[in-house]
Amino acid sequence: MDPTGPATGMRRDRAVSPWVIPPIAVALGTLIALLVIGTDARVPVAWVGGFATLVVSFVALVVDQRSSTLAALRADYAGQEAAARGRLAQQEAETVRLAALLPEAVHRLQKGEFAEDVLSEVRYDPALAHEFQLAHEAALRAVVDAIQNAEDLRESAERGFVNIARRVQAIIHQQAQSLREMEQRHGQDHQVFADLLKLDHGTALVGRLADSIAVLGGDRPGRQWGRAVPLYSVLRGAMSRIIDYQRVELHPVSEVAVVGPAVEPLIHAIAELLDNATRYSPPQTKVHLTAAEVQSGVAIEIEDGGVGLSEEARERAERMLREAQAGIDLHDLGETPRLGLAVVGRLAQAYDLTVALRSSAYGGVRAVLIVPATLITSTPATGAAHGIGTTFGPRPLAEAGTRRRVAGPKASPPVELGADPSANGLPQRRRRHLATAAETSEAAPAAGPAAPAATATAKPEGSSEPGMWLGEFTDALAGRDGAPDVPFPQSGDESTDERDKRE
Amino acid sequence: MSDEDHAWHEAGPERLYVITGGRSGEAAKEPLDLVTLVIARSGPPHGMQPEQAAILRLCTAPISVAEIAAYLGLPFSVVSVLLGDLLAEELVVTRSTVPPVADMGLIKEVIRGLEQL
Repeated sequence: MDPTGPATGMRRDRAVSPWVIPPIAVALGTLIALLVIGTDARVPVAWVGGFATLVVSFVALVVDQRSSTLAALRADYAGQEAAARGRLAQQEAETVRLAALLPEAVHRLQKGEFAEDVLSEVRYDPALAHEFQLAHEAALRAVVDAIQNAEDLRESAERGFVNIARRVQAIIHQQAQSLREMEQRHGQDHQVFADLLKLDHGTALVGRLADSIAVLGGDRPGRQWGRAVPLYSVLRGAMSRIIDYQRVELHPVSEVAVVGPAVEPLIHAIAELLDNATRYSPPQTKVHLTAAEVQSGVAIEIEDGGVGLSEEARERAERMLREAQAGIDLHDLGETPRLGLAVVGRLAQAYDLTVALRSSAYGGVRAVLIVPATLITSTPATGAAHGIGTTFGPRPLAEAGTRRRVAGPKASPPVELGADPSANGLPQRRRRHLATAAETSEAAPAAGPAAPAATATAKPEGSSEPGMWLGEFTDALAGRDGAPDVPFPQSGDESTDERDKRE
Repeated sequence: MSDEDHAWHEAGPERLYVITGGRSGEAAKEPLDLVTLVIARSGPPHGMQPEQAAILRLCTAPISVAEIAAYLGLPFSVVSVLLGDLLAEELVVTRSTVPPVADMGLIKEVIRGLEQL
């Protein structure tokens, strides 16, 4: 009897059990009665008193024992209850922990960690019941698996998006190239050219959309540039991709270039900011685009004269940028997606750009995009590939002149235009004669009357191809002495006239 | 040459309509043609659009519109728009050539005469 142990102990502790009082009281009563009553009645009274005392003592004893047993049971029960409460609290805590654990697990899964890794890192309190632990694990696994599936689905959808966007980009690139060729080909027909420009513009807009989707899908926008591109071209490239490019006023920018890998992302980010600026400002206002070198790189400013941002709207926009930097879900974009800021945020995060939206002095919004110095190079790319800006830009005037003279023979079309009609007008016989060496001596006198002063210089080399006449022509153009006149193209006369007029 | 041109076309991220500001040269006040000669009146001022600056640098000596277009690798329409702006700002002077058709007969006559010599 386990409970008796503590019960006897309790009885010993409690020196005087209340149940001692009734037998003592009966015994005392009996004694008093014995003293009070007559002697003849003492014996029966003593008997009765003794018996009563015995009975009461027995009853008291029994009651005392039971009460101590009850106390022991109560104590035992209380102990059990406390243990049960403890376990319950533990389990509650565990469930709460699970509730906190789940979002974290979801987050980690979304970041691309594997379900197994996430599950294996979950630690359980060793004091927990095994079944409880198993049940928890099962619940967690079910949730994690479901999320993993959803993530896989999302990822494959995203890949699909990016894949399609890439194909569109490829087509658009091709299209833009052929449009450029067509523009070159039909450059003389203003109407066709105007239509081509419209088509070109539309194509560029589609291209930007495809780029946006690619960026949101985690890909890079558009093509890779293998060389640095001047900032001015980058800014104009960005202007090329918005609807209202005519409203953008491009101010002179510092002569720096953007390194190849950053060109396309930068163009795209600026285009999105420009698009925002033109879209949310009145159509008759200008959007100012400037760029200046700052300590940390180059600051590109886009300022519009729109309604401006309320503090709340600015908060929202910046939150959007921040969220986009943390990564966005294509499915969260909603039915009428506002891709712009999301794209800018993504690009900013990927290329270390800093974007800030402030209110502008014009009343609208001033977006400042800071390009880190690592993406800027001070040496503009050289050569024809760089485009006209610098092909001719830094070249000194004298050199430009040289280039023209050297390139002169290459610009054969005008010469041929001048020569062809005469050749056409001639009989075949004449053409054959031209080809013979004897004919050249005839050709020289033909020029002779036209340019008597030139014959002296022309003769030493006069026995060569008609192309040499062009050399003289260009010499004359360049203002060299000894070749005052030019035989073949009429434009030659004109040009010398012009030159004389100028001098 | 055409390969070079092609390389150049690939190069710039800007499209032609941005260079011309959306104009195609239809509304040009002074019609320019390919053989119109152009001379710059001054060097390019600071902060000028690179294409226009390039034209001014090219035009230090008289040069035809066709040549400008070829050197810049830009279509004729673009060059004529840019030249139109430069004309409006009086940074260049143009001079049309004598209509070639008038001379054609004369040239043929001269050639015939020479042949008969």
